[in-house]
Amino acid sequence: MALEIRTGVRRLFRVVLRRRESLVERLDEELSFHLEARTEQLVARGLTPEAARAEAIRRLGGTVVQARARLLASAERKERRMAWREWFEDLAQDTRYAARGLARRPGLTLVALLTLAVGIGANTAIFSAVNALLLRRLPFREPGRLMDVTLTPPADPAGSGSNAAPWSFAKFRFFRGAQTAFSNLALYSQGKFNLLGREPERLNGEWVSGGYLTTLGVAPALGRDFPAGVDSAGGAPRLALISDALWQRRFDADPAVVGRSADLDGDPFTIIGVLPRGFRGLGGQADVLVPITTRPADELEHEAWSLEFSLIGRLAPGVTPARARAEVNLLGPRVYQDSPMQEGAIGRDARSGWSADARPLDQTRVAPGLRRSLLVLMGAVVFVLLIACVNLANLLLGRAAARRREMAVRLALGVRRGRLVRMLLTESVLLALLGGAAGLLVAGWATRILSAANPLETLQAQGLSGLGVVQFSSIRLDGPALAFTALVALLVGLLFGLIPALGATRPGLTDSLKDDGAATGRGFRLGVSRHLLVVAEVALAIVLLAGAGLMIRSLDRLLSVDPGFDAQHLLTLRMTVAPGDVTRDSLAGFYDRLLERLEAVPGVTAAGLADCPPLAGGCNGTIITFPDRPPVAATESPSIGVHVVTPGWFAALHVPLKRGRLLGGTERVGQPRALVISEAAAERYWHGEDPIGKRAAVWQGGFDKGATVVGIVGDVRFGTIDSVPAPEAYMAYAQSPRSYMTVFLRTRGEPRAIVAPVRTAVHELAPETPIYDIQTMEQRVGTASAQARFSAVLLGLFAAVALALAALGIYGVMAFAVGQRTREIGIRMALGAEPSSVLGLVVREGVVLAALGLVIGLAGALALTRVLRSALYQVAPGDPVTYLVIVAVLGLTAFVASWIPARRASLVDPVEALRRP
Amino acid sequence: MTEPLAPLKGTLDVLVLKALTWAPMHGFEITAWLEDHAGGELTVDDSALYQALHRMEERGLITADWGVTGNNRRARYYSLTAAGRAHLKAESAKLVRYARTVITVLAARSG
Repeated sequence: MALEIRTGVRRLFRVVLRRRESLVERLDEELSFHLEARTEQLVARGLTPEAARAEAIRRLGGTVVQARARLLASAERKERRMAWREWFEDLAQDTRYAARGLARRPGLTLVALLTLAVGIGANTAIFSAVNALLLRRLPFREPGRLMDVTLTPPADPAGSGSNAAPWSFAKFRFFRGAQTAFSNLALYSQGKFNLLGREPERLNGEWVSGGYLTTLGVAPALGRDFPAGVDSAGGAPRLALISDALWQRRFDADPAVVGRSADLDGDPFTIIGVLPRGFRGLGGQADVLVPITTRPADELEHEAWSLEFSLIGRLAPGVTPARARAEVNLLGPRVYQDSPMQEGAIGRDARSGWSADARPLDQTRVAPGLRRSLLVLMGAVVFVLLIACVNLANLLLGRAAARRREMAVRLALGVRRGRLVRMLLTESVLLALLGGAAGLLVAGWATRILSAANPLETLQAQGLSGLGVVQFSSIRLDGPALAFTALVALLVGLLFGLIPALGATRPGLTDSLKDDGAATGRGFRLGVSRHLLVVAEVALAIVLLAGAGLMIRSLDRLLSVDPGFDAQHLLTLRMTVAPGDVTRDSLAGFYDRLLERLEAVPGVTAAGLADCPPLAGGCNGTIITFPDRPPVAATESPSIGVHVVTPGWFAALHVPLKRGRLLGGTERVGQPRALVISEAAAERYWHGEDPIGKRAAVWQGGFDKGATVVGIVGDVRFGTIDSVPAPEAYMAYAQSPRSYMTVFLRTRGEPRAIVAPVRTAVHELAPETPIYDIQTMEQRVGTASAQARFSAVLLGLFAAVALALAALGIYGVMAFAVGQRTREIGIRMALGAEPSSVLGLVVREGVVLAALGLVIGLAGALALTRVLRSALYQVAPGDPVTYLVIVAVLGLTAFVASWIPARRASLVDPVEALRRP
Repeated sequence: MTEPLAPLKGTLDVLVLKALTWAPMHGFEITAWLEDHAGGELTVDDSALYQALHRMEERGLITADWGVTGNNRRARYYSLTAAGRAHLKAESAKLVRYARTVITVLAARSG
């Protein structure tokens, strides 16, 4: 028998038991040996060689081939089982070895685990958000067949504004009759309803067309869907479907609710069904669905420009999204040109340039801005994790150096290198998996925070709302997130373990065996690997720092934007006047009385009402035309925001009057109609002419026959805080009364202090009218920049982690190098080198490495931060100030991180150093 | 001369294990040993022998390793493991008891 190594020794050094032979070879050799031996025996007994061989084969059970096949099958089974068992035994052994190794160095293990927990946890958390918001299937039947169909206004010369517009019911009816690409089409818009009864409640709901549920492929859990034909005319029977949540909450889950009546906004609606649990409409919030056609017929038929509804369609069988899109593009202009209700309304030219477009519903699930932010954050956490990997690789390289002798002994004993690499990788993977498990704790905590954030209104205020049904509340640690974590941990373990494992087991036995392991740090090339890792780490950190720096600069710019009003000491609240409190005709008088009461509340210095608060993501708008001019060119989109305000609103918000006069008490029903416009409107539509006294028709609220412009006020940002102020028109509340208003109260002190008396004042006048959305104006301004702040804070946090890790990495490498070169430094100093020159020597090395990483990182940052362009507000992706600051920050960090070990080096006692082996 | 016996079902394993208590052997040596010690009364089907060897190796009763024969040829040598030894002890005791019982029964005379 060959060399016998005692089992204990063999196990200790992982010497392979034997080369794994080919099964077939082994078996054939064994059998042929047997045949020969048997033949020899039989010949010896007197048989002829031929007869002996035949007898030997017979005894093997017929033909040799059959026998061999039988034996081979059983041997293979055994071998497979053995291989698995061996693999698992190896794994168990490696794991035990790894666990012991980790336990022996608790400090290093703890640092590594913390780094991994943060790195992997952040990745899992952001991945959970990406999965919930961008990837997870929409909860409808065959969601891939659903398309979002929008109208497209003519190109806006200002380049701002959305390129998609909603539908009016009349246009929808025309389109539905003309198209063939969709088997189902449905219109919907979100609305608020007052559910009256024992406890009045304000409900989120949706106005829908009849085919809404069938288009989505959802059936009521109880009762039935809206009957066919509900869309045929306005003034349809008042029917409603309610959500499971509302059914539980208000109707005690009573199945007899079907057929009962509910009072919505003062009208009785018959509940015909209950929606399945969890289904809250495409807006994701609805408690009640109401047919659009319950609105007055004349509103639906004639307000063809009241663009309010979103349109979704389910592709007809066999129709591709591309074909549907082509048809929609073709039909779009006809929706305007041919729809009969347009006759006589406005000049044809004003309508041209409009079209329609369709895209898969899934693409609308989140706003592009939010999608981009999520992907940027995902990229950022991947970078953090990469830096963490680099750092861990560095830590393990340090260990690898220490273990090189141990590995050399194993190699010398004949252990295959692959086996040793596997053993070392088991250690890093074990570490990564433990880190991943700890990361799940971090991720669990982070996803809870993310899912508790309900940024629907916040997103709306920033023009970032997508499909409401895709909600932050659906962010959770689910199967995919766990699988992602396991995969990432495994990859990370292999990634940071591979270089140290290869380094520690590099052949070159005699050197390492002779080497005493401490004196010549450069004897083995670990040093080079470590230096490269530091360069990589700095480069990665620079990219993150650049991203975070740009976002912070952008946020700073955003926070200094003048929204056009004074947000301090301003309380806002919204109300929708209940029909039971005030009839539509007496709204103006009611608002007069309300303002009187509000102004009398102690602490209130001014009060005003408007139908839509600023910075809420956009208000109601329409088109503007000019009776005394020829129809405008098609490219000039004549759009304008419409605001219904009380005269005191401008003063309450400190919106400055630029020219002319404000709306006064004279603009009442029956009096000549007057308009106040914004500076942007004057600029865009009068081109430097004086608009005061000119006529303009605003196609809403009875101003379509024209009104006189009486004044110009400063621009107020009604849309998002980063959008250019749009043209706005203000009309008097008395000439176009709305039943929903936002109340603005300028206060002497803390705005929140007057909430209670204001509530009382409103309820004394209108007991059934709900008050909601009570916020200070400063809160609204904060909301408007919340996403920018969120991105800046998260990116800043990731960048800070990256910087800290990079500093740790540089420090680690320099400290290691100093440790390795103590003898060399001692000699230098013994030969007369000054401590300062030793200091310079070491610092220079660290700074050179950092500079190299800096250059690479800057190139990477310049290339990568371009993806941030549209997320940045008034900051270019190549902003020199940002780059100067991050270069300074990183340079300083690198200097300090190498100065500390350098100082230690300069304090080396030459005698002591030389005496060391 | 009566025809040599084939081992009864289930006894081959025990016989092989017994053979291996003498020394590690290769397959042919085992048949030869068995035939020798059975005084020519036993003949082992070679195919059955190798299947038994592989089966027992799989169950950990024996292990195999390459070795060199007396006339310098490579052969697979089988040897007993501790488990094999225990198995042999238990099984041979059972077998002996069984054989005695059979003999007793068959030798019974009336009266």
